[in-house]
Amino acid sequence: MKSYIALIKLDLKLALRLRTVIFFNYLFPMIFFFTIGTFIGAKGDAKAATTVVTMSVTLGILGNGLFGAGIRALQEREMNILRRYKVTPITPTPLLVASMVTGFTIFLPYILVLLTLSHFWYQMPWPHHMLSLVAFISLGLIAFRSIGLIIASVANNMQEGTILVQLLYFPMLFMSGATFPIRGPVFSVISKFIPASYLVKGMQSIMLNGTGFFSAWHDSQELWQAAGALLLTMAVGLTVGGKLFRWEKEEKIKGTAKLWVLAVMLPFAVIGLWQILGK
Amino acid sequence: MSTDAVISVQQLRKSYDKLEAVKGIDFQVQAGEVFGILGPNGAGKTSTVEILEGLRPRTGGDAQVLGYDPDRQKQQLKDRIGVCLQATNLPAKIRTQEALDLFASFYSRSVSSETLLKRLQLWDKRAAFYETLSGGQKQRLALALALVNDPQVLFLDEPTTGLDPQIRLEIHGLIEQMKSEGRTVVLTTHYIEEAERLCDRVAIMDEGKIVALGTPRELQQKSRSQSRIQIVTAQALDKAALPQWPDVVDMVLEDDKRSLDVYSSRPARTLFEIMKWLDQQGITLEDVHLKRPTLEDVFVELTGKQLRD
Repeated sequence: MKSYIALIKLDLKLALRLRTVIFFNYLFPMIFFFTIGTFIGAKGDAKAATTVVTMSVTLGILGNGLFGAGIRALQEREMNILRRYKVTPITPTPLLVASMVTGFTIFLPYILVLLTLSHFWYQMPWPHHMLSLVAFISLGLIAFRSIGLIIASVANNMQEGTILVQLLYFPMLFMSGATFPIRGPVFSVISKFIPASYLVKGMQSIMLNGTGFFSAWHDSQELWQAAGALLLTMAVGLTVGGKLFRWEKEEKIKGTAKLWVLAVMLPFAVIGLWQILGK
Repeated sequence: MSTDAVISVQQLRKSYDKLEAVKGIDFQVQAGEVFGILGPNGAGKTSTVEILEGLRPRTGGDAQVLGYDPDRQKQQLKDRIGVCLQATNLPAKIRTQEALDLFASFYSRSVSSETLLKRLQLWDKRAAFYETLSGGQKQRLALALALVNDPQVLFLDEPTTGLDPQIRLEIHGLIEQMKSEGRTVVLTTHYIEEAERLCDRVAIMDEGKIVALGTPRELQQKSRSQSRIQIVTAQALDKAALPQWPDVVDMVLEDDKRSLDVYSSRPARTLFEIMKWLDQQGITLEDVHLKRPTLEDVFVELTGKQLRD
């Protein structure tokens, strides 16, 4: 247990010493929060304010998960930092747990600041189900950090990792409804297979429709669906991330193992199909 | 395995796809010994050491370190050994003392970071970020990390490569200190003087095999190379007047006629005869050096390669 505590403490210190972490976790989404909010006239408009909050949170989670967890793990492997850990008796588990806890601890204050700012700046009402919202966002964050860890596991070098992250980041940003509303049947179908869509849907369901995890089943069905997909992603991501964890850049992974990235998308494929066929 | 052997290797083999990096080697390392593995790049020394550290699986043969099988008892083994890797790094923004405290938390027993920082002369740098440390300070920190669990056996993989001579000497002093504490040290290097100065025994590896094993003195004595006696006299020498001293293989008189190199298979006897002759001739001796074959000579003789090939 002492290795878990020491790693978490150190990861937090290191994260707070890096300007890029502060920028991408706090400042970058905050710039969008104020710019887009002003642009779409979110002041006094609850729906528009909710859109801005959803977008800012999604941006933050994508950055924290794909770049914060994925690219950082890759950097540590490329720089032979993980190799130094490999000669000690620890397993990958405390490193993965520390990464999760750090990401969560850094991100949570941002959520609270964002909601407070939305309330006082844009006059957005406080969400009825604050606990459900925080729980759902936390789940989303851990799920996306798991995706980041899988990318770090399957990418053989920084270049491959950056390409994989970009391939996931931009579709998730633009086709999930986080930045632009989804219009047209084609985009509507595509969005059902994109993990970030469920993040957006779940948050909107809590903030716009006033649904909580313990609301009536009819009302909370969509929220549970989204939460289920994220939960599955988290489980698959952590299992596969742990299984494929590599300490050294010299340990190359076979091309076929890269297909594990698809495994993490499986829950969304199943739910997407279910939604399309269910109509 | 003899009773004092802390490391025992039998017919150890390691292959990477079709490349056979280690080709069935045998050796033992005794408790408290500094054991050197010498060889050029690609000789198989790092593969051998990394198998013993539990970092790589072996392809064949047997290996035991402190009674543990490095393949099957990795965690127990890693808890008891100290490792200083050839290519490694730490996060740029970690402070020196934080690094030691972090690594101490990974082991079942540990030495306090304060003790290690003072011992490795890093106390003044305890709050410095890793990125601001010099090459020598980083290497001292790497050695401190290798000592954090108070290990019985230390593996030092080319610990002075790329460091300037002054820092190399500092690291040599630290390794001697580790030996004086009774720790067993396995040192890989391609610096001859390092092996000659620090190692009790040396294994010379080439192309995955051990081509010679023994104390540096034993290996030098086994060499077919001759010792060289260099003398400088006050008066000029006449080459035609020089006698045929016993066991001399070759003689070279330099252009200044005062510097003479004598190659001998039995240098002590030859040197005695030279001194006697100089005295009889009334020639004043200004300087004399006796150079035995170095490990590098032995290595070149055994492998036909330079050590830094």
